[in-house]
Amino acid sequence: MALVEYFEAERLLKKYKIRSVESRYVKSAEEAEKFSAGGRIVLKAVSGKALHKSKSGLVVAGISGGEIGKAYSALERRAAKYRPYRILAQKMVHGGIEIIIGGSEDVQFGKMILLGLGGIYVEAFKDFALRVCPINMEEALSMIRQLRSRKIIAPDRASEKMVAELILKAARMYQGGRMKELDLNPIIIHDGTYDAVDIRMIK
Amino acid sequence: MTKRPRYFNLEPIMNPKSIAVIGASDNPDKIGHVILANNVASGFRGAIYPININASGTIMGYTAYKSILDVKEKVDLAVVAVPAEVVPKVVEECGRAGVRGIIVVSGGFSEVGRKDLQDKVTRSGMKYNIPIIGPNCLGVTDSYSKIDTLFLPAAKIDKPVVGGVSFASQSGAVGSSVLDMIDNEGFGLARFISYGNAAVVDEVDILNYLADDEKTKVIVFYIEGVQRGKEFIEAAKRAALKKPIVVSKGGMTDEGAKAAHSHTAALAGSHQAYEAVFKQFGFIMADDIQELLNLSKIFETQPLPKGRRIAILTNGGGTGVLATDALYEHGLQIAEMSKKTVESLRKVMPPIVNVRLPLDMAGDAEKTRFEAALAAFEADPKIDAIIAIALFQTPGADENVAAKLVEYGTKMRKPMVVVSPGGSYTKRQRQIIEKGGVPVYESPGEAAKALAALASYAEYRDSHVKKSR
Repeated sequence: MALVEYFEAERLLKKYKIRSVESRYVKSAEEAEKFSAGGRIVLKAVSGKALHKSKSGLVVAGISGGEIGKAYSALERRAAKYRPYRILAQKMVHGGIEIIIGGSEDVQFGKMILLGLGGIYVEAFKDFALRVCPINMEEALSMIRQLRSRKIIAPDRASEKMVAELILKAARMYQGGRMKELDLNPIIIHDGTYDAVDIRMIK
Repeated sequence: MTKRPRYFNLEPIMNPKSIAVIGASDNPDKIGHVILANNVASGFRGAIYPININASGTIMGYTAYKSILDVKEKVDLAVVAVPAEVVPKVVEECGRAGVRGIIVVSGGFSEVGRKDLQDKVTRSGMKYNIPIIGPNCLGVTDSYSKIDTLFLPAAKIDKPVVGGVSFASQSGAVGSSVLDMIDNEGFGLARFISYGNAAVVDEVDILNYLADDEKTKVIVFYIEGVQRGKEFIEAAKRAALKKPIVVSKGGMTDEGAKAAHSHTAALAGSHQAYEAVFKQFGFIMADDIQELLNLSKIFETQPLPKGRRIAILTNGGGTGVLATDALYEHGLQIAEMSKKTVESLRKVMPPIVNVRLPLDMAGDAEKTRFEAALAAFEADPKIDAIIAIALFQTPGADENVAAKLVEYGTKMRKPMVVVSPGGSYTKRQRQIIEKGGVPVYESPGEAAKALAALASYAEYRDSHVKKSR
C-alpha cells in the first residue's frame, strides 16, 4: 500500500489526457510566491503518513502575495509530525463545482469506477454512482443521470458530455494503470472546462 | 482436483427420468421419508429408488437398496438426506455409480464450521463432473417434471400453480416463505431452486440454466453473496437480455468498514458493488420479499411498455391524484390523450366526468365506463401503459368490472396494472383479477414502482439488444 508520488500520478493523467491544475513542489515561501505570479494559490503538505490532507490540516487555500509567507511557515509547523513531507503549490481554481471520480477494487467484481459530488460533499451526501470496469459512453452518461446532483454537475448537454468523457478517460486510466485505488477529488468543473486538483493513487 | 466447468447443466436435476432418495425411510419423522412421499404425491412419473443403509425389502412400497451402487438401472438424480458425516462417502458412491445430478439437503457443513466435509463434497462433484446442489438446502421443485425435494409438510404450504416464474434462493427460509406466498399473489411457478451452501452448483450455474430454460419467463433471485464475480457478470449480461431478472440481496449492512485509504474505497463497499453490478447489467432490484413478489407478477403477466407515458383511470378522484404523484416519484409521467381518445370518451362519459388524465369516471362508474376508457386507452398510441384504479367500495364496481379488467389486462399489447385497496369484498375481486392474469396492488405507490421497473427493463433491453446487433 503506497501512495504514488504526485508528479508521477500527474504524468499518468497527462497520458490519458486528463487535465490537472498547474502544480509545483516548492522549498520556500519565496519560491511559492514566485510560483503564484501575483495570483491566488493553494499550498499542500504531501506526506505518505497523512492520507487525508485536509483532515490533517495540511492544506491552505486561496492565499496570495504577502499572505503566502505566513501561511507557508504555519503549514510547515503543522506538517512537522508527518515528516518527511514536501510542499506542493498549486494555482487556485476559482469557483466551479467539485466532483470526485475514483476507482476501487471489489473482491468479487474487480475494478469499479465511481462518480460523485465531490470535495467536502462526498461524505455528507454520499451521492455517487458506481460501475464495473470497463464502461462505455452510455454507461458514463447513465452514471451522471443517476445522481441527485446531476443538474449541479452537468447542467447542460455540453458539460454532460465533458464529464462523461472524463469518466471514460479516468476509467481507462484506472483499468490500465497498475493501481489499487484512485481518487481524483476534487475535480473542479469551471468555465466550460475542468481541472483535477487533487490526485491520490494508491498502488 | 479437476477444474470446474464454466457452467454445470442442471437438466438432470430439474428434469430427471429417475431418482434415488438416499436416507429414505418408512418412518414419517425422517426427512428422507417426507422427500420420498412428496415426490410420490406430486406426481413424479419417473422411477424411484429408495436407498437406506439398513434397508431390507421395500420402503413405502418401492424396492429398497442398501447403497446407490446396488441399483442396476441408471439414476439421473440422487437426493441425499443423511447425516453430514456420511454425506461425503455417499456422494462419492453416487459419482462411482454414474449418477448425473445430486441434491444434498443435509445441513452440518460450512454453515457450522465443517468446511472439511463440504470440501469433500466439492471435490467429488468436480472429480465426477456432477452438478451438486446444496448442502444445507431445500433442493428443488419443478412444476413441469414434478420433481419435489422440499421436505416441508404439504399441508402447511400453499402449492403454487404452474407458471413462468423461476425462483432461486440461497436461503431455504426465504425460499419456502416466498414459495408459500406465490399462490396468493396470483402468479405461477416454473422452477424453484434452494441452493444453500453452493458447494458445487452456484448462482452462476443457476442463472445460466434459467436464462436458457424455455419455461422460465422471469428469473427471481434471492442472493446473499456471489462466489464467482466475473463469471456472474458474464452470465448476468447474457441472461438479462433474454428475460427479466428480479433480485433481492440479503446482507445489506456492509462488512466493508475495512480500513479504506481513499474516499472511493470508503464509499464503494461490497453492498454498493452488488447494487452497481445489478443496475449495470439490467437486473431489477427488490428491497424486500413483498417487493420481490410485486415485481415478479408484473413481469410474468404484462408486456413491456414502449415508453413511460401512463394513463390512469379511476372511479375515485383522490386515489387518482395519489397515483399521479406516485408516477412522478418513480420517474413515470401522465400521458396526454390523443384527440380521438378525448372525443370518444366525451361521447360515453356523463357530463360530470371531466375528460382528462387522471380520468376520474366518478363513483357510480360501472363496467360500461370502465370498458369505454380501457378500449380508448388501448387504441391510443400516445399511451404506453395503464393504471386502472378500481375502488370496489363504490356502488358501480363489482365482479363485472373485475371481469372487464381481466379481459383488457390480458388482451392488450400494452401493460396494465390494477390498484384496489380495501377489505374482504375487495380482496375477493382482487383474487379474481389476479387469477385472471392481471397484477393488482393495494397502493398506487406499489403499482407505479412495478410499472417503472417494467419500463426501466424495457429501456435496458432496447439499448443493449440494438447494440449487440
